Order: sequence, then C-alpha cells, then structure tokens
Amino acid sequence: MRFFFEGLGLNIIQGLILLLFAPLLAGIINKVKAFLQKRKGASIFQEYFDLYKWWRKPTILTPYTTTVFVAAPIVYFITCFVAAAMVPGFLSGQVSIGDAFVFVYILALGRFFMTLSSMDAATAFGGMGGSREIYISVLVEPAVMLAILINSMRYHTTTLSSMVIDYDGAYFTVSAALACVAFFLVILAENSRLPVDNPDTHLELTMIHECMTLEYSGPLLTLIHLGSMLKVMVFLTLFGALYLPLAVPLALKILFGAVLIGVVEILNNKMRLFKVRVYMGAAVVLLLLAIIAE
Amino acid sequence: MELLLSSLGIYLVGTLTILWPKRLELAAHYAGMLCAIVASGMVAWSALSYLTNPVSAWLIEWHWGDYYLLGDTWSAAFLLLAGIAGVFISIYALDYGKGYLGERIRALSGLWNLFILSIVAVLISGDAFTFILSWEIMALVSFLLVNHESGKKDTVSAAYQYMVMTHIGTAAILVAFYLVGSHSASFGFADMSHNDLTGMMKNIAFVFAFAGFALKSGLMPLHIWLPNAHPAAPSHVSALMSGVMLKVALYGFGRFAFQFIGMDTFWYGLVVMLVGLISAFLGVLYATMESDMKRILAYSSVENMGIIFAAFGCGMVLMSLQLLPLAIVAFTAALVHAFSHSLMKGLMFMSAGAVMHATGSKNIEKMGGLAKKMPYTAIFTLIGAMALSSLPFTSGLVGEWMVLQSFITFAQQAGTPELRLLVIFAFILLGMTGATALGCFVRLYGVAFLGRARTSIVDKAHEQPAFMLMGMGIAAGLVVFMGICPDPVVNIMQRVIAGPAVPPMGSPFGIIWGGSGQYAIYSPAIILGLVAVTGLFLTVSLSRKGRFVQRDVTWNCGTEPTSRQQYTATGFSKPLRRAFTAILNPKRRTEYLRKEHSYFGRKMEVHLEIPDLFNDKLYKPVVTWMINSSSAFRRVQQGSVSLYIGYTMVAMIVVLIWGVLL
Repeated sequence: MRFFFEGLGLNIIQGLILLLFAPLLAGIINKVKAFLQKRKGASIFQEYFDLYKWWRKPTILTPYTTTVFVAAPIVYFITCFVAAAMVPGFLSGQVSIGDAFVFVYILALGRFFMTLSSMDAATAFGGMGGSREIYISVLVEPAVMLAILINSMRYHTTTLSSMVIDYDGAYFTVSAALACVAFFLVILAENSRLPVDNPDTHLELTMIHECMTLEYSGPLLTLIHLGSMLKVMVFLTLFGALYLPLAVPLALKILFGAVLIGVVEILNNKMRLFKVRVYMGAAVVLLLLAIIAE
Repeated sequence: MELLLSSLGIYLVGTLTILWPKRLELAAHYAGMLCAIVASGMVAWSALSYLTNPVSAWLIEWHWGDYYLLGDTWSAAFLLLAGIAGVFISIYALDYGKGYLGERIRALSGLWNLFILSIVAVLISGDAFTFILSWEIMALVSFLLVNHESGKKDTVSAAYQYMVMTHIGTAAILVAFYLVGSHSASFGFADMSHNDLTGMMKNIAFVFAFAGFALKSGLMPLHIWLPNAHPAAPSHVSALMSGVMLKVALYGFGRFAFQFIGMDTFWYGLVVMLVGLISAFLGVLYATMESDMKRILAYSSVENMGIIFAAFGCGMVLMSLQLLPLAIVAFTAALVHAFSHSLMKGLMFMSAGAVMHATGSKNIEKMGGLAKKMPYTAIFTLIGAMALSSLPFTSGLVGEWMVLQSFITFAQQAGTPELRLLVIFAFILLGMTGATALGCFVRLYGVAFLGRARTSIVDKAHEQPAFMLMGMGIAAGLVVFMGICPDPVVNIMQRVIAGPAVPPMGSPFGIIWGGSGQYAIYSPAIILGLVAVTGLFLTVSLSRKGRFVQRDVTWNCGTEPTSRQQYTATGFSKPLRRAFTAILNPKRRTEYLRKEHSYFGRKMEVHLEIPDLFNDKLYKPVVTWMINSSSAFRRVQQGSVSLYIGYTMVAMIVVLIWGVLL
C-alpha cells in the first residue's frame, strides 16, 4: 500500500514536471518555426508570459451557456494532466493506474467536454469546430488503436510503462521505424497541428481546434491553452519513450520531436479537410505493415 | 427458489390489473407498476444472492410434467440484469405511464408485467418447449406494447414489421432447437447438452441459432426492425426492450453456444465476431446520421449489441484455439458490457421519454437549450451520454476496456499473418466505433440540451415528475457506481463464466487482467481521486477569480445573434457523412421554391434521406420478389368456388394415380 502511494506520488510529480516544461516546449516549436522562416521570433519563454496574461484577464461568458461551458476547460485540462501523470517518462517506480486504452479514453473525456462546450455557446463557429474535431478523431482513432496494438504485441502488455523501448533487444527494426513514422503522423493529427489543423490561424476555413476555443477568455482560455501544450508534451513523451527507436536520453528525444514538428509545420500547408482521410489512411497502412512485419 | 417463484406469481397478479374496471384505471396502473417493481426486485435479489452466495446448485429447479424451469449461473446473470432494469424502469413508468391515461393504460401496465414475466420465464426455461413458449409470449407481448399507440400509422407499420421479423427469428431458433433436440435423448436442456450432432447438421444448427438470436439482438443485417420498433413504442417499453430483451437473445445464444454446440470450431467464433464488429461500426455510423432521438438510441443499441457479440465471438475463437483461461476475459467482457448497456441504454431511453414528455417531439433538430429547462434530466442524460461514449468513471468504459483487452489477448495469440490481418481489422473497426460513438452522443446532447432553443417547443418544456427523475437517477447512479467501483459486477460476471476457482479480475483498486502477458490495469477510483484533487484545486483557484466574470454576448459583431446560427444536428454529422458516403449513400434533393436571382432572395427546401443500406440492398429486393411471386400466384387464386373444387379434384386424381403407380 505504502509502495503504491509512493509510486502514485511519483506519477503526480512527473505530471507536474511535464506541466512545467510544456509551455517551454511550445516556445521551442515556435522558435524553430521562426528560425526557419528567417524571423527572429519571440523568446522561447514567451508562452509563459502569454499564459500569465490570459490568467489575469476577466472571463466573458455568453448568456446562453450552461455549466458545461465552464466545466469543459477544467475537465480538458485535468484529463491532459492525468494523461501526463500516466505516461512513462523520466522517473522510475511509478505505478500504473491505467493502461494505454485508459490513456486514450481519458483524453477522449477531454475531447467530449470540449466538443460539447463548442455547441454550448450557440454560435456557428463553435459547432463547426466540434463537428470537424469529431470527424478528425474518427479518422485518427484507428491509427491510435493500431499504434497501441503493435506495442502490445511486441511487449505483451498494454501497460504503458512496460511498453518502453527495450534497448537490450533488437529495437531498431523495420517495424519499429514504420510505427515511429506512423505515430508521428498521429501526433500531428491528435494535437491539431499542420497539416491537419493550423494552430496559428483564426480563419474559419482552416481551423478546427481554435474554433472551439473562440468563445473562451481569461482563466478558462489559459486552461485550454495550457492543456493543449501539455497534450503535445505528453504525446512527444510517448513518442520518445515508446516509438522513437534511438538510444538517447528521453529529454533529447522530446526535443527532437518538437523540432520535427516545427520543421514539418514549415514544410507543409494545411490540407483540405476531406484529404485528411488519405493522410490518416497512410498512417493506418504504415501501422498495418509494421504489425505484419513485427 | 421460493422467492423467484413467488415473483412470477406477483407478475401474474400485476398482469391481472388489465381486468380492473375503467374508472379505476389510474389505480390499476399504480398497482400494476408496483407489482412489477416488487417482483423485479425479488428477481434481482434472488439472482444476486444465488450468484454471491449459492446455497444450492440451481437457482431454481422445478418441473410440471415435461415443462422444466431450471436456472444456473448463466441464467442468474441475466436475471440480475433484467431484475435491476425492471425495477428502475418500472419506477420511471409510474409517472411516465400516466401520459397514457384514457389510452388503454390498463393494457399497458398489465402487459408490462406479462412482458417482464415472459423475459424471466425465457431466462429460467429448462427445456426447448418452455423456452420457445416463453420466447413467443415475449415476442407477442412486446409486439402489443410496441403497437400501443396504434393510432399512428408509423407505429402500426413498425409493429407489424417487428412482428414479421421476430417470427422469422423464432422460426430459425425452432429449427436450431429441433436439430439439436432430435439428436439427443429429450428436449430438456440437460439432455440436449449431450447431443451427438456432428458435421454439416451441427453447422446448420449453429447458423440457424445465430441467425435467430442475432435477429432478436438486432445485429446487422437483421437489425431492420429495431430502429423502427424502438421509436414507435412508449419510452419505458423501448427502455426495457433495448435494455433487457436484446440481452435475452445473448442469453439464448450463449446457452446454445456453451451448452449445445460447443466452441471447438474456429469459424463459428469468427462469424460471430465479424458480424458483431460490422454491426458495431455501421450501427453507430447510422446513429450519428439520425436526428430522431429514439432512432439514434436504437442504432446505438445495434452498435452495443455488436460490441457484445464481437467480444463473445472473440471468446469463442479463443476457446476454439484451446485457450480456455484466456477466453474468460472475452466472455466476462461480453457479460459486463451487456450489464452496463442495460443500465445506460435504459437510462437514455428514459431520458428520451422525458424529453418527449417535455417537448412533445423526438426530433433533436427542434430542440436546444433543454439543460436550462430540465436540469436534473440534463445531468442524468449527460451521464448516459458519457457512458455510451464509453468514457472513464462510467460503466461504459469498464465494458469497453474489457472488450479491448480480450481483443489484445486474441492479438497476442495471432501468429499467422491472416489472423493478424483479422486483428488489425478488428481494431480499426473498434477504434472508429469508439470515436464515432463519442461524436454521436456529443451531437445528441449538444444539440438537444445545450445552446439555444431552436423552436418554440422548448419554451414550454419543464422538469419531469419525481418518479421519472427517480428512475433515471437510480440508473445514472448505478452507471456511475459501476464506473468507479467495477469490481462487484466484474467479479460476479467472471464467476458466472469461470466458476469460483479462478482468481477474480476485479479488486478495490480496479480491474486487472494478466492474460496478455504482463498485467494491465484500469483503476477508475484512483484516477477519479487524482481528477477530484486537481479539479478541486482548479475550481478553488478559479472561483477566487470569480469576480472577473462578465456575462455578455461574444462575437456578435454588432448584431443580435439568432438561434438559427447554431450548428444543426444534420450539419454536425456532415463531415462524417461525406467521409463515409460510400456506405451511407445519402440521397439529397434540393427544391427551389423561389429563385428569381441566383444569389439573393432564394428560397429552397433540401431533403436529405439516408436509407438503411440493408433495407435497400437486401430487404427491398426480397420483398419485391415476394410481392411479384404472389401476384403470379394470384392467377391460380381466382376466388371462384368451382375452380377450387376443380383444383381439389385434380389433386385427388393425381394422388390416386400416384398411389396406383407406386
């Protein structure tokens, strides 16, 4: 029992560490993009200042909203935090409170409330964002499931911490490389990055996730942004720990993933909404080959 | 045993309220529903005490001549489910049924008792005759209940469609029982389990049994009656049909598979699994396209029965691979998901009834903002919607997680590339099903309960009477309880499958499954603790900033926003409709009522119809063929008596010649 709660404490500490560095990671991605665009760009600590700014601002609530609208950012943030506490990361000795499927459904809880909140403010934009978010998630989910499947077939469990790449065995295989590429495609789609969604614009034709946050302001907006940054961090941690078959420290792999996101975002345009099918189809096919090759 | 037998008596007493005089119809309704509540409670209690602490080998063992009542743990699991659902739905019906005052309410409450009685009777039947008899009573009574609002044209056609379909199913089951029974000593289940059915006959028996039970549980392509019958029936009847009656089909199929057919043939399980998976995905896809609240729920039942049967099929496949200890998780998953589905679907049909009661409509396109008008119903519906999207802290994820674990277990055993492709296919479908289900219920809840009222029918909406709220509240409470403390239900269901010797999967820490190699765990209580602490911290820090909250319309751009600016339910599912056009094949027709100018002042109507794939491709051709062939027969059927006498004479002569020649 004591062992269990010590482990749980480590989980929470890891969640807090990831939370602390999540805005930094977002700053680094932005810096990479700025560098490649030959701009000077904002400081890598800019996101911290932005979050502080939003936290101090007042909240405006549309009168049509219900409690769901206020609860949604809180739930969204909490689910990202719990996910951060669940991923295998820097500390050893954590306990498993849920496996990979629970991880997926915890994040689904956040998505459920965010899409509900998008319909709560009774605007066209919100509904559009929610509708597209659902569409994307339906396409991403098969790839997520297959990404879990391949690791659970390799390591004979769905517990995340047992799936960490085993550097004693043959880890750099064809199957591992394919799964790595496919999971990176999943990360881009899950975190509303280019080419699936554009996190920088507020143009109705291109945006998905930003549509849903349009009605928010003040601390609630802070929670959503912090949650999103944390989610990127969580997915990159997973990417580093479970999918990137390179024997280097995890922090470096996360950094590598962040730079990769920046580079990919520079090189790609936002694709048409109904092209995402093809994109996710590619991820599914890669995973399929990876599983057959395993 | 005495408790169960006397509960049957109480149901009969409840059925007799049908005979009460008309001026006492409200009293008859209350008396009938009370009987149902008490008797269902007794059923649930006797099943529960038998499952947790069995004092005898059988739950019930009784016979009258050749008619046997026999209850084992498999029966008891379903009796528990039926009893619990019977209690909370009957409580709900105390108030909901009052809407039918003056509209044959005595028949409604009386038949309600007979309906639950027949369900219980199916579950404790000990021989084929009793089974078929109770099965048929169940079908007829549910037909009468579906047809209760027989003034409406849709209701009548839905009810008769149900009647025809369910009898096709019964016929298939009869054939299956006959095949098994004729190869055993008697038609008692105990004898039928020692049948000597082999080879082709066994395959035929399996196919007929699966077809018959799949029809009753609404698996595709035999689901066609389900999305019509559920909306037509009064809401509490739909709740019981969807929550319990569909599971009775699983009971029947399980009895057949475990006891009569055996599971050593690989393709039996494969067929069940594939049909289940495809039903799951297509069911939820159609659900996302519907805008009739009860049709959404009906298609969602197709989805969930699909998941349940997929898990059951997965178990059968594992059994055929001689992996008995691993198959336990799959069968337990099917039972747990069935139990949880009976709670959450019961809950959702009850809230659909509450919404219909409040607004007089089932069409979510006309609603919006109901959460403000009926806050309790809104909370209960939110819980139901979360559960059906299989989110954490509801019973939905418990079942779903175990189903996913059973497929992972299967994946570990899949050595050959063919089996791996099968597993991949299964996971792609399961993934899409899960995500689409979330979308479906976000859409249902978001359109109906959140945002602003789309039409004036919402204005007169009001909170529902106490008993309706109580029924929904009990169901919602059970959904959440099972979601947070899954171990009682999981352990009971596991013991049904595996017996008391196998160590239980559930513990206060959550569910642990080690069949796929190392251990995988889902501990909702601890995650909830983490969520609660974080949530409390955030809520406190946010409420300290509470004085900064303003209430004002955002992004109005200087205009007054109207409720028509909101996304509609049809609009919400448009991307999915477009992505899956090949399956859904939506038919869209635009009619211009006024079109003087190509951009301005147009007035048009857009008709969108998504015909059910199987209705168009499978049933219509069959029905057309039947109608054509009967018009061919009409040439012989002229209706004149002399002609028929002629036919008889010709037949006689033929028979005589036949007799002489042979």
